Amino acid sequence: MPKSLKVALREYKATVRTKGFIIGLVLAPVVMGGGGIAFAIFENRVDTRDKTIAVVDRSGLVGDMLVDAAERRNATAVFHEETGEKIRPRYVIELASPVEGDPNPQRLALSNRVRSREIHAFVEIGAGALHPREDPAAARVSYYGENAAIDDVRSWIGRPINDALRQLRLTEAEVDLSTVTDLFDYLSPEPLGLVSVDPETGEISDARRINEVAVLLPPIVLMMLMFLMVMMGAAPLLNSVMEEKSQRIAEVMLGSVRPFEFMMGKLIGSVSISLTAAAVYLVIGIAVVSRLEMGQYVPVDVLPWFFVYVVAAVFMIGALQAALGSACNDASEAQSLAFPAMVPIMIPMFVMMPVLMQPQSAFSTGLSLFPLFTPFLMLLRQSTEAGVPVWQPWVGLTGVVLVTALFVWVGGRVFRVGLLMQGTPPKFSSIMRWAVRG
Amino acid sequence: MNTVEIQNVTKTFGKQVAVDDLSLEVPQGSVYGFIGPNGSGKTTTMRMIMNILYADSGTIKVFGDRLVGTCTDRIGYMPEERGLYKRMRVREVLEFYGELKNGRNLRTEVDGWLERLDLSDWANKKIDTLSKGMTQKAQFIATVVSRPELVILDEPFTGLDPVNVDVIREEVLSLRSNGTTVILSTHDMSVAEKMCDFIFMIFKGKKVLDGTLASIQNQYGSDTIRIRTENGTPALEGIAGVEKITDFGQLQELRVAGNHDPQEILAQVMSRTRVTSFELARPSLHDIFVRIAGPEAEEVHDA
Repeated sequence: MPKSLKVALREYKATVRTKGFIIGLVLAPVVMGGGGIAFAIFENRVDTRDKTIAVVDRSGLVGDMLVDAAERRNATAVFHEETGEKIRPRYVIELASPVEGDPNPQRLALSNRVRSREIHAFVEIGAGALHPREDPAAARVSYYGENAAIDDVRSWIGRPINDALRQLRLTEAEVDLSTVTDLFDYLSPEPLGLVSVDPETGEISDARRINEVAVLLPPIVLMMLMFLMVMMGAAPLLNSVMEEKSQRIAEVMLGSVRPFEFMMGKLIGSVSISLTAAAVYLVIGIAVVSRLEMGQYVPVDVLPWFFVYVVAAVFMIGALQAALGSACNDASEAQSLAFPAMVPIMIPMFVMMPVLMQPQSAFSTGLSLFPLFTPFLMLLRQSTEAGVPVWQPWVGLTGVVLVTALFVWVGGRVFRVGLLMQGTPPKFSSIMRWAVRG
Repeated sequence: MNTVEIQNVTKTFGKQVAVDDLSLEVPQGSVYGFIGPNGSGKTTTMRMIMNILYADSGTIKVFGDRLVGTCTDRIGYMPEERGLYKRMRVREVLEFYGELKNGRNLRTEVDGWLERLDLSDWANKKIDTLSKGMTQKAQFIATVVSRPELVILDEPFTGLDPVNVDVIREEVLSLRSNGTTVILSTHDMSVAEKMCDFIFMIFKGKKVLDGTLASIQNQYGSDTIRIRTENGTPALEGIAGVEKITDFGQLQELRVAGNHDPQEILAQVMSRTRVTSFELARPSLHDIFVRIAGPEAEEVHDA
């Protein structure tokens, strides 16, 4: 067995056999997807106490209609249909007569009632709300609350206010509303994929219905999984190499293996660790998704690319981490290099959402063809419904392979010099010199 | 036949010359002692023999071949600082290091060595549970478990208690008797005197001594008097012809200046005090070391 594989086997066993790996395997997705999981679990854990909203209707037109709208909502949305359990708060509209003159004293009084939890919030409807084009300032609708920007009540109340105003405008235009019962019914466009010819039957197949979750979840999950694999496989190499150097293990190892073999062994071990974790996650994930009868959302055709990208990313970023680790003498030096070493991993995470929303844009295409980001962003784009042109993953992969080879070669040179360089703090200029001169 | 042949090797780190035009031949089956002050170039020389560091110029042949870019399994190397994976178990780590050297029958070899060095009970314990002495013995086993033909030991006795020093010394001599060539560095001159067939001293990167102990001592002649007297050092001060007095408490060592007769010195001492023991000897390795690398030599060098 080649020596690099012996080193890799030790690395693999030393990591996979530990309880920490098993615990990490379980905890990592919990930590990474914690927000989503918490949202799913606590989605219905809302504050069900009634919410009173004071309405100062200076137009004198929509107050009563708002009271009716709130009652209609309360009749259908507050209690669970089957269990009768209260699952949402009742909205209670309290009409407050507008005071003449300076409105601020009334606003202060209502604000103090909000502060004392007597009411939830208050709304001011401008005197000219019916015809906002005539005097936009007088038509303003204002919502005052402690958390107004993300308040559920604010999200709800806009529609009944506008429905009421539209209704009044139509009445003013002498439209008989009883003849148009579905006047305010709203139809949402149904999201569908493209129609194509079934290659087996030759018939035109129906377009597949798409929802936001189905569109967004697979790319995000695969991207997060890629991030996780790099964090599990490549990122620990910085500290691992630093420890081997500071504990003088590296010198013993270099008495048996060449520096390049040593680094390759560590990289192969790291790739194996990542692939093991990836396989575990994918097998369990696919089993769960299939059991939930959502198997059609698994981007099966992208999975081989996922494994290819995992191997490339761990090699590429791992070589960088190992080279930097070899330049460090202790944990504090490693800590100071940890952030710059994470940049190639963090940038794809920062641009994930813009790329996901517009996977075909020049910005997305350009970034995904940049070799350091290709394993993350090309994978993300490939996993979207729109996909990518066939040539792009291959061009991206070619770049990744070339840069990986360069990183491993340069990393090996830095590694060899850095491992035996004791007591010299890592400097960018030194690392570059080692990379050039070997 | 020589196991190691070093010819005109120079190694620099930046502006610092670590090894300067060094030539050395290590015969097969010998124990070759490297001595020298800290930072004199011993470890750098060993690392170059191991091919961990590359020489800037000159050639190094091991087993008759240059080792540029390759690493041989026929050499066992124990660096000065011990380096074992702390979270691995003793048996695992020894087998791992043996495998890296393509050793054979490693299970049997490891068990045999553990038994000989009294570590059998610790075979399944993790390295970080071992004492410093035990770790050092484990490191020694890791070096020799693959039965290398050349063993390089950098400070193998540092930190060991006298019992374990004897254990390791016996094993080193046993290796030699089986035909293994051993290079070891040490700061303990008595170890070098007793164990080594050849002694090589490096000082400021340059070779200053190389040969058998006898040949080295012959270079200095019998210029040392070891003497015991009733009045000790005070009775010896100011005697003409004595270049230096080294006081060991019960025994004093006098270095005789160039043209003086030791008998005259003895006569002067006897006129001052009662002499209980007198020996004309060649200088010890310790004394030679201090003459070359001690403060006195530094003063001469600086002058």
